[in-house]
Amino acid sequence: MSDAAINQYKADLRSMEFTLYEHLKVQEVFTEDYFSHLSREECDQIIEQTARFADEYIGPLNGPADRAGCTIVDGQVITPEGFKAAWSKLYELGVPNFAVPLEHGGFQGPSSVGSVLHELLSGANCSFNMYPSLTLGAMDLVATFCKGKVRETFLEPMMDGRFGGTMCLSESQAGSDVGSATTKAVKIEDNRYKISGTKCWISAGDHDLGENIVHLVLARVEGAPAGTKGISLFVVPKYRVNDDGSVGESNDVQTVSIEHKLGIKASSTAVLAFGENDNCEGFLVGGEENSGMKQMFQMMNSARIIVGIQGLAAASSAYLNALAYARDRKQGSSVKAFKDPNAPRVAIIEHSDVRRMLMEMKARVEGMRSLVVKLSKHQDLSLALAEKDPDTANYHKGQVDLLTPIVKAYCSDQGFRVCELAVQVYGGAGYVQDNPVEQYLRDSKIFSIYEGTNHIQALDLVVRKLRGRKGQDLVDFTSNMTEFIQTNANDPGIGAEVRALGAAAQGLQEAGASIMEYMMSGKLDQLTLCATPFLEAMSEITVGHLLLEAALIAEECRTQNDDQSQEDFDFYAGRVMSAKFFANFILPTVHAKVAAIKSADRSALDIPDRGFSTAW
Amino acid sequence: MKILVAIKRVPDAETTIKVNPEGTGIVNAGVKWVVNPFCEIAIEEALKIKETKGDVEVVLVTVGRSESQEQLRTGLAMGADRAILVTAENLDTTGVSRVLAKIVEKESPDVVFLGKQAIDDDSNEVGQMLAQRLGWAQACYISEFNMADDAKSAQVVREIDGGMRTDKVMLPAIITADLRLNEPRYASLPGIMKARKKPLEEIDGASLGVDLEPKIIIKSMAPPPARAAGRLVESVDELINALKNEAKVL
Repeated sequence: MSDAAINQYKADLRSMEFTLYEHLKVQEVFTEDYFSHLSREECDQIIEQTARFADEYIGPLNGPADRAGCTIVDGQVITPEGFKAAWSKLYELGVPNFAVPLEHGGFQGPSSVGSVLHELLSGANCSFNMYPSLTLGAMDLVATFCKGKVRETFLEPMMDGRFGGTMCLSESQAGSDVGSATTKAVKIEDNRYKISGTKCWISAGDHDLGENIVHLVLARVEGAPAGTKGISLFVVPKYRVNDDGSVGESNDVQTVSIEHKLGIKASSTAVLAFGENDNCEGFLVGGEENSGMKQMFQMMNSARIIVGIQGLAAASSAYLNALAYARDRKQGSSVKAFKDPNAPRVAIIEHSDVRRMLMEMKARVEGMRSLVVKLSKHQDLSLALAEKDPDTANYHKGQVDLLTPIVKAYCSDQGFRVCELAVQVYGGAGYVQDNPVEQYLRDSKIFSIYEGTNHIQALDLVVRKLRGRKGQDLVDFTSNMTEFIQTNANDPGIGAEVRALGAAAQGLQEAGASIMEYMMSGKLDQLTLCATPFLEAMSEITVGHLLLEAALIAEECRTQNDDQSQEDFDFYAGRVMSAKFFANFILPTVHAKVAAIKSADRSALDIPDRGFSTAW
Repeated sequence: MKILVAIKRVPDAETTIKVNPEGTGIVNAGVKWVVNPFCEIAIEEALKIKETKGDVEVVLVTVGRSESQEQLRTGLAMGADRAILVTAENLDTTGVSRVLAKIVEKESPDVVFLGKQAIDDDSNEVGQMLAQRLGWAQACYISEFNMADDAKSAQVVREIDGGMRTDKVMLPAIITADLRLNEPRYASLPGIMKARKKPLEEIDGASLGVDLEPKIIIKSMAPPPARAAGRLVESVDELINALKNEAKVL
């Protein structure tokens, strides 16, 4: 296999356009003052330029960078060839700062459009996009919480790509359990602290793309309370920064090693040692100690949405590649000619089972994208209306909170599964490196693990989010869906499918009642056992709702617009079909999950450990 | 110094083109429109001169329907300073060159850049006609452009049949860009944001007092015949026979 740089990334800009403007009507946000400096026209140009960057710069690097990986030379991580040039170009274009508020020096674009930009970048090269994404997350914290000299020193270089950024949470004994972090901070004076400790699993932890790296490190100040209440956040640069803004001497941050991973191999995942020589300085973020978890959550919420988008992005390109392959690859004859050994060979897209797989992938990709854009539009409106109409803003904020674990867990799980289906469509050709889908499959496994495993998301949903704003968020969510079901249950085109959604939603309510009962009666082991199936069921229903809503709009466009191209006509027909398929082939699985949740079966809990297997 | 760049709105090379049932033109619905790629190269060259010489105003002009604003905005987002849209429909190359000659008279630029041809009609005429109407020098199909320090002339490399030719051209002149002249830049986010506020003047083509009547009449338009499927032949003789008598290539 040659490593010639060929772009294998495929994006469906038409589908993105439909979701943004025809289905979810993102253009509405431009009428709000907060976004009035922009219009659809500029956003379309930005999408177009980003798509071009994805195809020309980072798409072609995806395969070669996977095979080259990152290397470590004299304690410095070297990224694959081409990453540096792509990094400079990306920051020259300014894409990473699209949704950053104007007051921080960004473009204040709507996140709904921003989500499409993320999809394009991550889909073209997930590993590469880790570096700017982590930088953005770290930069956002500096912008929000840091003042004075720290802000002046670090904010601008992080926005223009001179400095990268990371988030350093995990330690070897503190992964999902962040509160047990032991990295130490000892006050020197004012906001300056001496930092010591070792962090692991640090994405983009070291690289050679910028001049410096700004680590945001969770650490415990001496004498702080135990657990998450005693965690503080610090800005810890790799190199100290001189008064004139130039990069100075080492800040005693060492890259101990980088991981050898299943996927996203061109993203360095580092073990970092801070203060091995007692010479590592950090600056407290915000004015108060022990506020680290709260601050970090701001970053974690947006990071979780981005992980959901990563799942969508890999799935979308995997689907489009599998589709192209299925149209091209000839094998077997049509089932209709099964008696004729001399029947002509047909493209595999003619085979029912390949169509089933493609349809599932299509429905899931479209569903994930509308889920992501839906959440993002809520986010845009919660920002835009914050001052003018706080009640409505709170409604939107509540929906963001409720949908965040769903976007993170559902898109990451389904992203991986769509990639798996793509490999299946290719057959043996999908298992080898000549085609991009085996890499998508490997790359996408991490999404359900990092930024809070998907079980953490499920717990967040059932324990916290279902009760958000005293349950009002869930009430709002449910009443939106009920209204849709009641209005469209007798639609001549998709009425049956809407009723199927209604039945599934009814099942979910029953499952919700069981979950509540487990919680109230203190059956916490049963509750946590059912959290994941509950999140899955709720996700499928949310997605089913969005797909059917989109199908109604597509049907209207298809039948009422005489002046449309054949391509558009087929596109709309396809949207109706994938929604129907989802309602008939996938929504029924909700009932199985509901039954499992309601069964209160304890076998997984009561089985003796040795009962799993007597082999040790 | 002022540089005028004339650009054209054309269907994207990857869009599917269909001829309308009347056979008079193409179906516009569902077509993605872009700046003609050769015109993008022309814009890039003007911007590069602006960057090296300083104090240069880059003015874009196009002739077409009001939707062509989008393509002018793209050029402004790349870095041009202002734009002129002359609204007119169904012009041929004679009409377009007459309109452009008027705009050149009005703007008096030091040099005019165009793409060597547009990828929709492939006429390759507007630049040459414009030079003739103005009585200016022309250097077409250039792959290198070096302006003299005094800005009174430029050395250009032209792509001609079978090779390259280096010419000196006195300015003002009409220059048409070939593919290898440069690689057009991306429009950056700050560029796209700024483009919104840059001046875009709209002029009614009919108000210019030039003959807009097409001299070239499209009698009919038809897609090329679809390629027939290949077939397997049984023997070398049959192949030779087919090549001789059907394909008539032997």
